Amino acid sequence: MESASVAVGHAHADHHHGPPEANQSSRIDRQTLGILLFIVSEVMLFGAFFASYFFLRVVVDPASWPPEPFELPKAVAGMNTAILISSSFTVHYALESIRRGNRTGLKLGLVATWLLGATFLFIQINEYVHLGFSARDLSFGSIFYSLTGLHGAHVFVGLCLLSFATIRAFRGHFGPGAEDHLGVEVPGIYWHFVDIMWIIVYVTVYIL
Amino acid sequence: MKFDEAAVFKWVVIVGAAGAVIVAVTLLTRPLVGALLLLVVVIAGCVYGYRWSERKWRELGARRRSREPRE
Repeated sequence: MESASVAVGHAHADHHHGPPEANQSSRIDRQTLGILLFIVSEVMLFGAFFASYFFLRVVVDPASWPPEPFELPKAVAGMNTAILISSSFTVHYALESIRRGNRTGLKLGLVATWLLGATFLFIQINEYVHLGFSARDLSFGSIFYSLTGLHGAHVFVGLCLLSFATIRAFRGHFGPGAEDHLGVEVPGIYWHFVDIMWIIVYVTVYIL
Repeated sequence: MKFDEAAVFKWVVIVGAAGAVIVAVTLLTRPLVGALLLLVVVIAGCVYGYRWSERKWRELGARRRSREPRE
């Protein structure tokens, strides 16, 4: 028995290259754990920016917020919020489709999500052009562009991830099994995080 | 808690609904009222998160005890 296991070990060693396989939890796959840890770190990053926002607004306590004559386009940002929330629904539709083996639904959902996300980013950039103040105009301008710009950068990263997922979906890489569509599941989780962050940014910066 | 896209989407819906309520209250009343409501929601979320983590640790402890060999 020992010689057999040694023989098997040698056979395995012939095919094995590099360091040994890392330990993997039976309860969560490493890709999902990876995106969870990444999102936690990004939440801390946003937390730092929100702390700065609340410090400038509450502790410094300026005469008015936004300072006159600056004004924020709440309606346009509200419409943008609706667009981003819709994109969460479309990416969820895409994932539900592939869980049921519907590859057409997956492709449609991913394309729709990407288009909605790109529209959001386009409207955000257009808003920057027409706002009437820059990041150098008082602390308000600085924190506004910092917070919304940080979120915009996250949307851009999300669009890159969705691009990879969409291209792979059109190449038929994904299947109904849980391990067979992690390449869509992980970008989907990230996209939902981006959406949740925007809801918090919109409520805090534009509305309150 | 199962951490998959469906679980996170559930939180998108919850946060979206909470955000919609806070926006509506703020627009109908004053920003201060909206800020207080936001604070209430945040505290409720922290309490829920704390109780959830307590439950998870208790389940983990019970699972470990059931696996340990009895003397």
